[in-house]
Amino acid sequence: MNVEMPVEIVGVLLLGLGYLALLFGCGFAVERGWVPVRITRHPIVYTLALGVYASAWAIYGSVEMAAHAGFGYLAYYLGAAGAFLLAPVLLVPIQRITRTYQLSSLADLFAFRFRSRWAGTLVTLVSLLAVLPLLGIQVQTLSEAINIVTASQAGGSIALLFCAVIAAFAVIFGARHSQSHGRHDTLLSAIAFESIVKLLAMLGLGAVALWMVFDGPGDLQLWLEGPGALLQQQTPKLDPAQWRTLLLLFFAAAFMMPHLFHISFSESLSRHTLLQASWALPLFLLLMALPVPLIWWAAQSVNTDIPIAAYAAYLMTEHWWVGALAFIGGLAAASGTMIMIALALSGMILNHIVLVARPPEARSDLYGWLLWLRRGLVVAVIIGGWLFYQWVGRHHGLIGLGLAAFVGMAQCLPGMLALLYWPGANRKGMVIGLIAGVGVWLWGLWLPLMLSLPVPTLPVTPLTDPGAPVWYNVTLLSLAVNILLLIVISLFTRISEGEQTAAEACSVDAVIRSKRFPLEAATASDFSTHLAHALGDEAASREVNRALQALNLTPQERRPYALRRLRDRIQANLSGLMGPSVARDIVDRYLPYRHDDTPETDDIHFVESRLEAYRSRLTGLARELDGLRRHHRQTLAYLPVGLCVLGDDDELLMWNQALSQLSGISGESVIGSRRDSLPAPWPRLLGSALEATPGPLYKQAVALHGRDYFLTLHKAILSGNDSRGGSVILIEDHTEMKWLEDELVHAARLASIGQLAAGVAHEIGNPITGISSLAQNLRYDTNDPALLETADQIQQLTQRVTKIVNSLVGFAHGGRQSVPIPASPVALASISEDALHLIHLARSGEDVILTNETPDDVVVRGDAQRLTQVMVNLLSNARDACDQGGEVHITAGCQGQLAWWRIVDNGQGIDPRVRDHLFEPFTTTKPAGEGTGLGLSLAYQIINEHQGKIDVASPPPGQPRGTAITLWLPLYQQDDQPTHAQDSDC
Amino acid sequence: MYVYRIMLFLVFGGYLLSPLLMNGWSDPEAAWYRPFVIWGGLIALTLWLEQKRKLDER
Repeated sequence: MNVEMPVEIVGVLLLGLGYLALLFGCGFAVERGWVPVRITRHPIVYTLALGVYASAWAIYGSVEMAAHAGFGYLAYYLGAAGAFLLAPVLLVPIQRITRTYQLSSLADLFAFRFRSRWAGTLVTLVSLLAVLPLLGIQVQTLSEAINIVTASQAGGSIALLFCAVIAAFAVIFGARHSQSHGRHDTLLSAIAFESIVKLLAMLGLGAVALWMVFDGPGDLQLWLEGPGALLQQQTPKLDPAQWRTLLLLFFAAAFMMPHLFHISFSESLSRHTLLQASWALPLFLLLMALPVPLIWWAAQSVNTDIPIAAYAAYLMTEHWWVGALAFIGGLAAASGTMIMIALALSGMILNHIVLVARPPEARSDLYGWLLWLRRGLVVAVIIGGWLFYQWVGRHHGLIGLGLAAFVGMAQCLPGMLALLYWPGANRKGMVIGLIAGVGVWLWGLWLPLMLSLPVPTLPVTPLTDPGAPVWYNVTLLSLAVNILLLIVISLFTRISEGEQTAAEACSVDAVIRSKRFPLEAATASDFSTHLAHALGDEAASREVNRALQALNLTPQERRPYALRRLRDRIQANLSGLMGPSVARDIVDRYLPYRHDDTPETDDIHFVESRLEAYRSRLTGLARELDGLRRHHRQTLAYLPVGLCVLGDDDELLMWNQALSQLSGISGESVIGSRRDSLPAPWPRLLGSALEATPGPLYKQAVALHGRDYFLTLHKAILSGNDSRGGSVILIEDHTEMKWLEDELVHAARLASIGQLAAGVAHEIGNPITGISSLAQNLRYDTNDPALLETADQIQQLTQRVTKIVNSLVGFAHGGRQSVPIPASPVALASISEDALHLIHLARSGEDVILTNETPDDVVVRGDAQRLTQVMVNLLSNARDACDQGGEVHITAGCQGQLAWWRIVDNGQGIDPRVRDHLFEPFTTTKPAGEGTGLGLSLAYQIINEHQGKIDVASPPPGQPRGTAITLWLPLYQQDDQPTHAQDSDC
Repeated sequence: MYVYRIMLFLVFGGYLLSPLLMNGWSDPEAAWYRPFVIWGGLIALTLWLEQKRKLDER
């Protein structure tokens, strides 16, 4: 038998399937990357996706509402706009909690805050019951629109076909991964596309009404003042109390309906995106609402008798494309809502009903199992919507169905507000209040709707009005009971410790004082082993690695702080996978804390990291205080003295930059670890400082990165009323001071030896004079040539001794800086010779060849003894720098008005590290005790006083090694007058 | 918090006074688009407050 399909049905099928094919095309285009990311991740896409709030109700239900309540239809839009206008105080805190703890649904949030899996299950059941009528509305509008367009009863079957395609879309683009939390760019872009389509459809219908049915705004106004005035006066007016109740219902629905909660908090890019939606979504809703009265008035102006007000758009004109526009707008709105409801609700059912009833076992295909469960639930929810329409929805109007849904969802509002603003609310109060409120709703509104029962008689209370619609009375009664029980029971029952912690984490102004406990697992790799009992090897390893990557940690991580953060991250990730209740159970069981004798302390580092993360959200006094905290922290961090802070449990809380430089250990790598797990010698050193009473530990000798250091440690115990315990240790590097002290001792010893030597030299002078006189006498007393020669030799030798003694005494007196430089002629050759004499007195360096090639005619202006001191210091350095058999040459010459005097050696040269501060006091490369580091400094000072300068070349030009030091001194001129007699104190 | 207080005040004030919006439906003297003009004004105010908040946070 050949059955021909009417052309209208074919047309609707083509139109509907064509639109859905376009939606698939949009999805594929985004997925393949044909649409730039800057578009798909633009905040406007997020706002348009939030436009999913404007479901089929906005296309058809609003027109019906306008017909029955005039501008009362605006409650649907203004309620949602109000919720988003309050985004900074309402939505942003919810977003913060859901992001931090990876909560993807209202049920997750309730289960997390009230620390009860049953709270999550209860909210899921309420959401399911409340959303079914809303799903039914979407199918109903589609089905009845098809019936009207095709003038047949094929709407139900065609709607089922569309539902199947919509379910396929939801599975392909929304349930690709097992994780329900996290942004789906493809899905969000497709929903945004649907919002654009329905907005254009509504604006198009409004334009048709205004310019095709009426002749523009003027004509509309004339109609409203003329023939339409009577019709409008006949429109019932919504009671102000009912209007406010409607506003409240839509306000709650705007962020608590499963699909809206999902988009608002699971898909939003950032806080900024959400705040942008606070004005952009109300604008979108304004544009959606604007054409509604136009459509209704246009339909009224054409047909005064409209059988189904909801579909007035089809009655405005005879043009087929106007009907097609209304149909596409309705399909876009219905399909978007169904997709998002199915995805959101499937996640809730999976996490809070399926996984609670049947916890996941250690299985190799955990992810696949979760994914297929979720896909099945997505399809089941959409088909459930169609079944609801078939059994229940088709017998009721859109307003009745919609209000049943919104009143049900509003039952979660008291719990949600308590969650954000009342840390004292507890599980018992919330659950009993919710059950009672839902009970009233089911009994008064939902069951009569489902089972076509007569509306029950509600008890007379001061709140209810016997003449008011049943939805109004049920709303007031159920919410009043709900709120009352929540408050009373919470006030008179105890709140558990876990719940208190969660309440603080959720509360807007809570002071969070996280405690820290050690974990049973000692390293990050232990986590995989422990979790494998619950998740199986593969999933456990994958989850641990994912958390490690997110935190930038390694599997070898042992720091207690890092392990606690790893545990939190794994719990949050598992929460996104299988809900907070199951995640918490798994983590508590397999990654437990150790409650031993360790003192309970605040997790200051965690609190700080949270403050850093939320810094941009702080305002007013809190922001100022945070600025002050950062300032103090930076003061400690950049303190030029090493500083570390240890908690009472020996956990390291601070390790500043100076200490990082001193120890070679970065703060990031050790903060959060125990003192005993620090690299040597720090555990012993810090332990000694902590045990030392009462004073500091002075100059503790330690070896750090191959060098010897002397550290002084000061300790203070952090105590007092507001203190969180612990100790602060200051670590000063006294290595240089210790070295200077040693050098000073050495220099003092040398100075005393020098004084002794000068005294001895002075004393030697008398006997030498005596010996010389005796030798002179001997020459007069004999003519024996042999004796005369001996007497000459004795005299020469005594002269030599006298000369040496004079040089030594002169050198000893040369350090006196207060004496002005005399302008005496000084022959550099004799100075060089004197210096060589003195150098030869030293026992060391006897195998170094010292040669003096200074010409006799180079005469400079200056102080012979101070220049001798310079030359002795330079020769001494040159000789010490030479190896065995090394050579040192002294040369001199004239250049213009200056004489140059050069000491060249072929020794080791000057270390480049000390070259820049060669002439600074205490600069030496000699081992401690062998050099004072003062010689070159003194030489520089003396040459400077002589108006000369020093050039250093190491190695000298043309030589592979060694050093050449050239002194430039002013030549002696004949007109130079000596200002003082040369010091002749010898 | 200053901005939030303005917002709370506006939203709750608007909530209490909002039934007045419905009077325009059957009043031929009032322009039919009056509720939308008020609504648009509220959106503009929110946009201004949002810009102010962004500047404050910089």
